[in-house]
Amino acid sequence: MTDTPKQNARQHARADRAEQPVWDGFVRLFHWSLVASITIAAFTGFLLGPSWIPVHILSASLAVILVIGRIIWGFAGGRYARFSGFVTGPVRLIRYTRDVLAHREPHYVGHNPLGAAMVVALMVLVLALGLTGWAFLGAGAKLGPFAFFVPFADGAALLEWHEALALALVALVVLHVAGVVFTGKREGENLVRAMVTGEKKVAAGDIRPPERTPRARAALITLSVALVALGLSLAAPVVLPVPGAPVAQIDPVTRAECTDCHMFYHPSLLPAEDWKQLMGTLDNHYGEDASLDPETTAHIRDWLMAHAAETADTRASKVFDLDPAAGITRLTDTPFWKSRHGGIPESAFRNPEVGSRANCAACHDDAESGWFNPFFAEVEG
Amino acid sequence: MRKQMTMRSVLIGAVLLVAGSLAVWAAPGDTSARQLIAEFSAQAGTQPSAARGEALFTGRHTGGKPETPSCTTCHTTNLKGPGKTRAGKVIEPMALSVNPTRFTDSAKVAKWFRRNCNSVLGRECTAGEKADILAWLSSI
Repeated sequence: MTDTPKQNARQHARADRAEQPVWDGFVRLFHWSLVASITIAAFTGFLLGPSWIPVHILSASLAVILVIGRIIWGFAGGRYARFSGFVTGPVRLIRYTRDVLAHREPHYVGHNPLGAAMVVALMVLVLALGLTGWAFLGAGAKLGPFAFFVPFADGAALLEWHEALALALVALVVLHVAGVVFTGKREGENLVRAMVTGEKKVAAGDIRPPERTPRARAALITLSVALVALGLSLAAPVVLPVPGAPVAQIDPVTRAECTDCHMFYHPSLLPAEDWKQLMGTLDNHYGEDASLDPETTAHIRDWLMAHAAETADTRASKVFDLDPAAGITRLTDTPFWKSRHGGIPESAFRNPEVGSRANCAACHDDAESGWFNPFFAEVEG
Repeated sequence: MRKQMTMRSVLIGAVLLVAGSLAVWAAPGDTSARQLIAEFSAQAGTQPSAARGEALFTGRHTGGKPETPSCTTCHTTNLKGPGKTRAGKVIEPMALSVNPTRFTDSAKVAKWFRRNCNSVLGRECTAGEKADILAWLSSI
């Protein structure tokens, strides 16, 4: 109703034209898979608890892989998929924006310059989110390629960046949807449907990128190489020694004596001073006499102190510090422990298979290794 | 003549005791409940009593640490079943009848008598008490 006669005529002219395939199969699959993976990643990241982190990582990593595939396709795809066909510089972007504001913009069959800028911005954001996300996992959990060079201390800042970027992505998605609705109305075309069927109306005088022959095989080979490289880099910390890893070779005497009464608490869980204190008071060890002969005591103390928290760079090595003066004499007294186990009902700890709060290994499968990877924690109702 | 016999048995006894403890010291896992009961009884100069052992083992005491008023705090009253440390770790059954490897390592026996008597009673157990407890745990 508010359309100008000129616009009506333009829409009418295009309606007369037969539809032509514009968005190829990969572009459409990419688009809707990205929608799904980003939606899951956003829900799990923003709204759901830590137990959903594996889902978050999987869906978010899928988004990154999709974007990598799209970037490869941007150099190998057909005329509407190639970056060279739609990615523009700032000059054309500003001119197009001015034209839109003046209601005189030309019609692009593929991405218009504003849409192209959105495509680039969205992909850059997804990649940046993937980088900060995996860097965070490298810092804290020593997972993925960043485990080799990102220290634990950088984790908090990385997480803040990750969260800021995620908010920016949400804002961009909102803007993207608004842009699609706006452009669709302006051009009289259901652009959402077009991204499903791949077909768009093409009129004479529309701007179309030059014809390109899609090179699917080259793209597929490149993607395979990229995925193998990505997979290898993610798996690298499993095979190669990670700096700051908790000591893996456990002293047999220490293990034997400590596990007489309780699970094996890895030396990297406490600072050397705490171990010294504990080993100096074995005759009253949490309400029991756990004394040993002086030689064995000294041997165990020295080994624990030599592999204490100061020698590791895991999260578990940074969050526990006993402070008997403040009533913190156990790992389970620490603010960190309490904040992470607050939602667990008392009955879970009283479960005969668990026995007590001190039995970390009941739920943390990798507890005795000192890693405490959050994804190896099994919480059962 | 009688005096000579006594001297002789004391000598033989001493040699056996030294050899026995040397063997035990050199090779852990080389003793038995029966042998330990005999040694502790000899040290105490008393006859082992399973009844006294039961009373000591299952009774509540106040001299030790408040967390462990009784042996049964961790070992439970069902000694043919597993016990549990306060940290939640399973303790193998104490009854010799279901756990024949019990009391075959003198160093281990010494370590746990020392620790646990101190935890429960606040002092070390006497040789007589050790003999009584071992007699009780061997009889069930």
